[in-house]
Amino acid sequence: MRNTIANEIIKKAQKDKNLFLIAGDAGLRVWDEYKVDFPNQYLNPGVNEQCDIGLAAGMALRGHKPIFYNIAPFVIMRPYEQVRNDICYQNLPVILIGTGSGLTYAPAGMTHYAIEDIALGLTMPNLDIFSPADPIEAKKCFEYAYNSSKPSYIRVPKAGEETIHKNEDIDITQPIIIKEGKDGILFVHSSMIDEISTLDDLLQKNNINLTFATVPMITTKYKFEKILNDFNHIFTLEEHYENGGFGSLLTNYINNSDLCKKIIKFGIKNEYIHKIGNRDYLRKYYEIDATSVYKKIIKRIKKC
Amino acid sequence: MKNITTNIRKTILNMANASGSPHIGSALSCTDIISTLYFKVMNISKPISNDRDYFLLSKAHSAMALYGTLYEKDFLDKKTIEGYYQNGGTLPAHTDRDTSDFIEISAGSLGHGLPIALGIANSIKLKNESNKVFVLLGDGEMQEGSVWEAAMLAPKLGVDNLTIFIDHNNLQGYGRATELVEFYPVKEKWESFGWETYVIDGHDCKEIERVSKIQSSKPKAIICNTTKGKGVSFMEDELIWHYFIVTDEIKEQALKELI
Repeated sequence: MRNTIANEIIKKAQKDKNLFLIAGDAGLRVWDEYKVDFPNQYLNPGVNEQCDIGLAAGMALRGHKPIFYNIAPFVIMRPYEQVRNDICYQNLPVILIGTGSGLTYAPAGMTHYAIEDIALGLTMPNLDIFSPADPIEAKKCFEYAYNSSKPSYIRVPKAGEETIHKNEDIDITQPIIIKEGKDGILFVHSSMIDEISTLDDLLQKNNINLTFATVPMITTKYKFEKILNDFNHIFTLEEHYENGGFGSLLTNYINNSDLCKKIIKFGIKNEYIHKIGNRDYLRKYYEIDATSVYKKIIKRIKKC
Repeated sequence: MKNITTNIRKTILNMANASGSPHIGSALSCTDIISTLYFKVMNISKPISNDRDYFLLSKAHSAMALYGTLYEKDFLDKKTIEGYYQNGGTLPAHTDRDTSDFIEISAGSLGHGLPIALGIANSIKLKNESNKVFVLLGDGEMQEGSVWEAAMLAPKLGVDNLTIFIDHNNLQGYGRATELVEFYPVKEKWESFGWETYVIDGHDCKEIERVSKIQSSKPKAIICNTTKGKGVSFMEDELIWHYFIVTDEIKEQALKELI
């Protein structure tokens, strides 16, 4: 997804001289060609994220279209107040791109995980948050952000993710159903998509057929009643703290609607991660891997 | 300029009194800097245009000085000034750019103005335009790390169109900048970061104008020695006027000094 977005940035930079990339001393080899081809549209400012966000806001105030690229914690957490005051409060069309969503960089350590970035992002009105599940969604999310007059935050895992959509004919502003089933619906975003195939196989062996839907735009204005009315069992699965992610957002949505439904959220327990291991290991530890989720879904469906 | 700055100080006193808002001392401290920029240095007129010079008030708790200056320039009207800090009013204590075309940034948290100014200045340079960008920071604000992030980056970007003013009144919220941190040597700090640096009397409008207009190949830092509460003898260099409210009695007393 990272490379897909990089390619899109290159394409836009060719046509739009106001596009300006600030790559916060990150993105090994990703920008090697870009910085040669577009020297006046590129800056590696060093390691100074507060300044970079202010810089991007200032450039947007003067008509540039700035993109700030860095690993996710340094895009939205380190300079949180700058994102809040300089970009979102002033409602400026800056695109923030954070790599290493969720536990991508495990076992780099807690400082390098982005498992509360959606929660932080949701506190800032005006900010559109995107969490694409495949390169096509990533491309479409970037396009949306590029054409938007509002601030955007796009979180992606890294490079090399599988493409799940058959073509680009998708609308990222609403949930995208990737498989239909009658026994319930599970919403997923970002790299957790790679648990879905195994999860579906396990459930089908038990004659349970779920609908699976991605939510590339976390801050979607979609009217969920349209889709949720059809299901008794509603699940969310994300590589994010259970509190404050898409699951929490959907729970709030339902609480504020006329729907008499309950959401079962699968996410990371709210604690600092001291456990050492790669992403798959930590998914198992926090019971958000396919097998753990399968067991919990079976239990839930049998119970209710 | 004397009549202008006196009028602005009167406006500030009236605003502080009518609203019951704090920060009168901070506003009076930088009145001469802001008014000189708007009346003698900057290219800016009504209606606002893209070729204007920019002024960013990073120490936005001094907003009354900016509002007072914009009123004196006829960029803000009387009704807007009267709505300062009022319920359902027009202007907050710290700037919100939605309130007027002439308020360049929403600010109030310290250390934000310089990075934003750097972005504006960089954008102008990249487009080969000639607008100038001026920023006012507090001496206490210099303790913010983001100021030094921008200080280190600015010379590298070649933003010779960027000038910062440091309102060095040596009296921040609860103490003196020079006592709380290793503030001095301040000129050498900015010079060593690659800025063309000056130290001036921040109440001498002619000197402010002269130094502001000096052409430089580097970004400029102008350290302005000032007195908090300047112009009202009993407010000068008194920490309490960072917060104290201007009562009717205080206002009358102060206005007598400004005639």
